[in-house]
Amino acid sequence: MNLSFLGISKYVPSDVIAAWIFTLIAGLLILIYIIKKRKLPVIWDYLTTTNHRKVGLMYILFGFIFFARAGIDALLIRSQLAVPNNDFWVMQYEKYNEVFTTHGTIMIFFAAMPMLLGLMNVAVPLQIGARDLAYPFLNALGFWMFFSGAVFFNIAFFLDSAPAVGWTGYAPYSTSEFTPGPATDYYVFGVQISGIGTVMTALNLIVTIIRHRAPGMKLTRMPLFSWAALITSTLILVAFTVLGVALYLLMFDRQYGTAFFSGDQGDPVLWQHLFWIFGHPEVYILALPAFGIFSDIITTFSEKRIFGYPAMVVSLALIGFLGYMVWAHHMFTVGLGPIANTFFAVTTMAIAIPTGIKIFNWLFTMRGGRLSFTTPMLFALGFIPSFVMGGVTGVMLSVSAANFQFHDTHFVVAHFHYVIISSTILGIFAGIYYWYPKITGYMLNEKLGKLHFWLFLIGFHMTFLPMHITGMQGMPRRIFTFRIEDGVNATNMISTIGAFLMGIAIMVFLWNLVKTHTTGHKVNADPWNGRTLEWTVASPSPEETFNPMPVITESDAFWYAKKSGKPLKTTNELIASPIAKPSILPALMAFSLFIVATGITYTWNWLAIGGGVMFFTIIIIRTFVDERAEVYGKGENDE
Amino acid sequence: MNSYEAELFKDKKLGFFIFLAVEAVMFATLFANYFIFTPADRGPHPSELFEVKTVVLTSFFLLSSSGTLLYAEKALEAKKSMGMLIGLSVTFLFALVFLGLEINEFYEYVSQGYGLSASVFLGAFYVLVGLHAAHVTFGAVWMILLFIHYKSSMPKSLFFEKFKIFSYYWHFVDFIWVFIIIIVYLPYLI
Repeated sequence: MNLSFLGISKYVPSDVIAAWIFTLIAGLLILIYIIKKRKLPVIWDYLTTTNHRKVGLMYILFGFIFFARAGIDALLIRSQLAVPNNDFWVMQYEKYNEVFTTHGTIMIFFAAMPMLLGLMNVAVPLQIGARDLAYPFLNALGFWMFFSGAVFFNIAFFLDSAPAVGWTGYAPYSTSEFTPGPATDYYVFGVQISGIGTVMTALNLIVTIIRHRAPGMKLTRMPLFSWAALITSTLILVAFTVLGVALYLLMFDRQYGTAFFSGDQGDPVLWQHLFWIFGHPEVYILALPAFGIFSDIITTFSEKRIFGYPAMVVSLALIGFLGYMVWAHHMFTVGLGPIANTFFAVTTMAIAIPTGIKIFNWLFTMRGGRLSFTTPMLFALGFIPSFVMGGVTGVMLSVSAANFQFHDTHFVVAHFHYVIISSTILGIFAGIYYWYPKITGYMLNEKLGKLHFWLFLIGFHMTFLPMHITGMQGMPRRIFTFRIEDGVNATNMISTIGAFLMGIAIMVFLWNLVKTHTTGHKVNADPWNGRTLEWTVASPSPEETFNPMPVITESDAFWYAKKSGKPLKTTNELIASPIAKPSILPALMAFSLFIVATGITYTWNWLAIGGGVMFFTIIIIRTFVDERAEVYGKGENDE
Repeated sequence: MNSYEAELFKDKKLGFFIFLAVEAVMFATLFANYFIFTPADRGPHPSELFEVKTVVLTSFFLLSSSGTLLYAEKALEAKKSMGMLIGLSVTFLFALVFLGLEINEFYEYVSQGYGLSASVFLGAFYVLVGLHAAHVTFGAVWMILLFIHYKSSMPKSLFFEKFKIFSYYWHFVDFIWVFIIIIVYLPYLI
């Protein structure tokens, strides 16, 4: 559509116009709601909060909003691929590239990651008896960095310059020679800023878990979700740092004239190595927390101790370790040679062993237990067979000779959606249903929850099971159409129907949220008859928790205390706890990085410098308003 | 520092060490990048560019600044505020001299036409050594803040904590410089 404004005529695609109209109307409605209900103080409260539950809630909320956006992208992709030679709306050629790029990037970085980090933020401190994360200020900063990176990335589409380089941003296509203009810069800076935020939050979680466990809560007594959070966080530290360096180098290539990834001296394969040294551990960063969630849920609803606790912990660590030795299995067709390919094929197959151990331990945990089929438990039960199917295709893909056939077909697409949706997305939903009382004080409606589960699970298998066949028939990924004679008409149609079924499932979930908050009732501290410490604090969890501090003598101590009819032992000993004080500085710091990114993207150097000055000024202010100053210097011997 | 503060300081210390580990991963990746691209098959050879004199001078100032900071630290622990201030001032001066030499070195290369885009070797050199120089600059500003904090009404135990954290940072930046000597300069000077 051609729009003219002040004499300037510009072609604007109709999907961008539709998005503007939708966003403006939605934004206006939300604004009216906020003003009418006088919610501004609430917004200010959340803008300045450093409390782990509130930060976690914001992580989940905004992660879910971006999840919805990337989900709409997925539906657009499936609509275009519904029938052969299709011309759906504008989703062809470059637009199609943009849609699959934003779908992948948002789903990984701005939906799955924040929702998992949000659940960790909410649950980990409560599970281990910490009064907050070790650095509340840094926690808020980590969240706002994610937020500004994600908003920066999402703005690109509204300015009709969405990146189209794939979520992997392969060089040399992502260098300025082939994708000039701001589009790819939105990818570079959006992911960079939120990635730094993710590293901060991971560091915070590690220190919290190592330093702030309740007395007697040994590492060997810790719930498995907290274990998963610990191992995931250590993976994040290395993976996201390497990604950060890769993006840093790409930024220099795009903006300042170096040529690391292109030209006669540069090496595009270096980008692939750096990206996948991040990218493969990232898969486990997404999966391990989900494993932790399922472990906790399965023990709770089987009313049994986890089967093989040490094996569960060791296999988590082993998966994390092996996760760093398999990255080149994404690059079998690059031509690294048979020795390298064999090595990476073998390490990839080896990952099936610890994963298999976990699957059997979950099954043995349920064996002989008193099962109750609540919504979180259903998600956990749906996860096990679905994830095994993804694992099987994973072993198929690890055979490097066969991989030459599967590479870049829909078979690969089917495989990674099977593993990521069944672990991460089902895990996130399970976690949301499970911890919803702890986050809001309400219990989500079980009937609608079960409907959500079944629609989503059926839709998910309908979408991706036929896609294996589509891929085997040779349909390449990232191509916007196919011909009638390719023999993939029926399977593509079924996939599209399945995708819309998943969309309906999400609508059911939204309806559940609305219904719960309008007609639902508040629940007590322990609605699920839980086993771990988070169920000892009130729902929703207050800002002051664990006073007096419980003393832990075994794993699942709360459960055994309930069984013996005696309350948990507590101590009134003074325990050094994190100092959480509200502050607007984290949000401002993240915003200043947003300004820097805008400045560099459009080479408005004055803006970039202004943003940088703002950023460092805030850091300097921060050193003078340190919340520790109020607590320090009041001790027995002040020196 | 009382026991409550000591516990909180241990939190901060652990977190900062993890942060330094992240920084180490970052520099390691950039060292690998430099190693891959140097020497480049086009453009100047590193041995034509690097000068022993510059490397010795910059290294002398930066590495001895670790020693002067150590002196300041010991003085702080012994509650000799004069010694601490002198030690920190000398460290700060050495940092400035180092930065001056580094800027001069970069300026000379660029004025010979060997900027960021002259070859992949130079690109890899600047993104690595330049990032290190940015760390030194950050540390220099941090030292100014420490002087102001010292004069402010901040509790002494909090100042002690901030000083300690800075010293970990500064020793780490020096530690990276040692690797820069070994990996970036040394192979092309001998």
